[in-house]
Amino acid sequence: MKTDSHRPLLFINLTIGWHGYRSLSPEPSLPAMADSTKDKIKYGLLKGIDVSGFKVLDPPVRLLFGEEPQKQIRDIAKYMLLPILFVLCCILLWSVVAPNHKTRSGEVPGPSKVLTAYSDSKRFEERQKEKASDFKLEGQERLAMVKEVETELASLEAKAAELSEEAAKIEALAQEKMAARIAPIQSKLDALKAKHKAAEDARDAQLEALAGEAVAGEVSSDTLVAFIRETEAIEEKADAAEDVYEEQLEEIRSNPPSEVKDAQLAANRVADEVQHYKKRLAILTKENRNVKEAEYLAKIAEDKEQLAAASTAGDVVKEAKAIARNTERAEDVGSQTYPRTATIFWQTKRSLATVFVGFIIAAAIAIPVGIMCGLNRIFMACMTPIISIFRPVSPVVWLLIFQIIIGAFFPDPENHPLFVTLNQDKFFGWIANPIAFLGTNPAMIFSACTVAMCALWPALVNTALGVSSVDKDHMNVAKVLRLGFWSRLFKIVVPASLPLVFAGLRISLGVGWMVLIAAEALSSSDGLGKFVWDEYQNGSSQSFANIILACFVVGIIGFFLDRIMVFLQRLVSFDDGSATA
Amino acid sequence: MSFLTLDNVSVAFGPVGNRTEVLSNINLSVKENEFVAVIGFSGSGKSTLMNLLSGLEPPTEGKVIMDGKEVTAPGPERGLMFQNYSLLPWLSVNENVGLAVKTAFPKLSKSEVADKVHHYVKMVKLDHAGEKKPHELSGGMRQRASLARTLSLDPQVLLLDEPLSALDALTRSELQDQILNIWEKDRRTVVMITNDVDEAVLMADRIVPLTMGPRATLAEDFVVNMPHPRDRHTLNDHPEYMRLKSEITSFMMQLNKESKASAANKIVPMPDVRPKDFSLPVASPRLRNKSPQPSSAAS
Repeated sequence: MKTDSHRPLLFINLTIGWHGYRSLSPEPSLPAMADSTKDKIKYGLLKGIDVSGFKVLDPPVRLLFGEEPQKQIRDIAKYMLLPILFVLCCILLWSVVAPNHKTRSGEVPGPSKVLTAYSDSKRFEERQKEKASDFKLEGQERLAMVKEVETELASLEAKAAELSEEAAKIEALAQEKMAARIAPIQSKLDALKAKHKAAEDARDAQLEALAGEAVAGEVSSDTLVAFIRETEAIEEKADAAEDVYEEQLEEIRSNPPSEVKDAQLAANRVADEVQHYKKRLAILTKENRNVKEAEYLAKIAEDKEQLAAASTAGDVVKEAKAIARNTERAEDVGSQTYPRTATIFWQTKRSLATVFVGFIIAAAIAIPVGIMCGLNRIFMACMTPIISIFRPVSPVVWLLIFQIIIGAFFPDPENHPLFVTLNQDKFFGWIANPIAFLGTNPAMIFSACTVAMCALWPALVNTALGVSSVDKDHMNVAKVLRLGFWSRLFKIVVPASLPLVFAGLRISLGVGWMVLIAAEALSSSDGLGKFVWDEYQNGSSQSFANIILACFVVGIIGFFLDRIMVFLQRLVSFDDGSATA
Repeated sequence: MSFLTLDNVSVAFGPVGNRTEVLSNINLSVKENEFVAVIGFSGSGKSTLMNLLSGLEPPTEGKVIMDGKEVTAPGPERGLMFQNYSLLPWLSVNENVGLAVKTAFPKLSKSEVADKVHHYVKMVKLDHAGEKKPHELSGGMRQRASLARTLSLDPQVLLLDEPLSALDALTRSELQDQILNIWEKDRRTVVMITNDVDEAVLMADRIVPLTMGPRATLAEDFVVNMPHPRDRHTLNDHPEYMRLKSEITSFMMQLNKESKASAANKIVPMPDVRPKDFSLPVASPRLRNKSPQPSSAAS
């Protein structure tokens, strides 16, 4: 069955490939282009693919330029289609297996649920952005937006009412159907219960009689005990028989037909949208910062009039105070931004920023120290115990240590000059601050420090290795040229060890990314780790899907970070990069 | 008179208790603008000798003197051309030469450096590949780049450490001609190490054989009494060329033989013990077939 399913797929691709070949090879489809230009483009593309490490794309490009189509098609089938097929199989397996495992937070989400979680997250993000921009709108634009939102809201409300009515109808219908399914079972159950009740009553009477006989000494107490045990066994059996029907009923009740679920979902979605538009309207009218500011300004004007009209000294002071208070409020409101709620996209950006900062710190320490280790054996001997002892320490320990240490530097983080500077809207009042949205705080700094501490070691060790293993011939060249210390360092040692340094940095970045997610989960520093942790605490089926979504986001970003490092490593490799993967 | 002198030099490696003397009692004096070839078998310490001359390795005993001063460290006045090119792989040919020019002549302006680089790269006929990285070049081109770098230092002495031994025969003869050409135009002191008698006779004024190691030393030199420039094509008919070639070759073969003989002599003679013959006397005809063969036991 599986072979049947993949054969057509392969065939389709083969035909596409063949057409591509036919159209290109005998009569070049790019006649305006000279062969040399075509070759230039081709080899440029191939070089780019090689450097970026996406070797998989090599055969399609060659095929596109009509080079040995048979071989390329075979390669595509082997190294592209089969892997894709395998991944598809994995996804299929996932979607089959996942729903069968029931957990505390519902069934394990399959691929479709994760996709839904993604689109939900995306919608959530868009709404956040809408609200944030609504909050800032002013003048005519705001009024236009109000109008737009109002019309949209009216149509949505109508639709929502319609849908909820429909959903109610469907539900009623389903209820009827369900009642029809339940009724026969229920009647059977009732009959069974009545029968059991009658039997129980009969045995109770019997027991009473037996008890009386036992008192009279006509039967032994053993007989009485035996009878009671028998009764218990019979009752247990009866309960089991009832349970069978009850389970059936429960099954029917707890699984409403899918059309009900769908109708409810559709109604909920529109209701959700209605809620969002209501909120937007509120933000546009009442909560908008410019509206509020205007309100305060109006109050100030009023106060000023009253101040002018005031006759007693006490009134003057009162009005002046009111003006001062309102002026301050107006200023505050004018610079406010909409309080943002964390979405997975924002958390991703924050995680990336944190890992970048941590990685830069790690590189800034590891490379110079590594170079010194590689150059000087005494320094290496001094550093070895430190490296050996601290390298195996768990990131969790570092996190706690840095949390305490960094925390001590920022007793009042809200007003600390560093964070005030980093989080302001504009530098010097006119350069837009590109990192304001990150909301830098001490948690971000100690997460970054934890990342740096854990990512330090691979880069350091590799740099030391690279520097100490510079080719002896190259050092001889330096000696013959009588290069000084610095030019020997920068002209010979550093370039020669760069490939190994970048290999170390690549490992460092991978380690840092993994450590960061754990650190964020533990420390509640905003980022993907915290997102996962919050969703875990939520505990609904939806949040389980979100966790798996986060898993994919972390994985894909990790993959791209690694690719970037491979690319850089290739760029600095002087031996064609063939030595590095 | 002598420009570069090795004065009773010895080099030994290893810990104090177990020293191996690689070179022993080396005496060599090279006149200014003389082309000396040191010829020797592989493993006889040729590269160690070159390291001595360049200053990369200090002598254990004796002195290396150049122009009246003792050599203690390597420097650009003794331009060393390495056997395995030793070009910096992350720099292009021009940059490799440029690095040498900049360090040898730190006062030059950028354009002067560029001119000088171009001059030397052109001298070795590599100007078409100036922007290429070493791994994109063939062995011969790499060695030419290396030669350009060495020449660009404008050294007083050129030290060529088996410069052509890694090349194929055709490239080799082409490069020999190029080196000779350059040397004819701009004479300076050259010490070349080689394992090729033809090459030595073709290029050098004087050929000094290095005896087999360990404890290698320099043997009596051969003076090449042929005027420069020499023509590779007519050389084969030159009686002097033929004589020198056969003389040096037979001398080297003799060295090899002696060394092998001395090595053979070093084998400790075993005591003359023969296995006892336990076989029964041949007279007993019945047991004859079962008796062990004494000859096989003895061997």
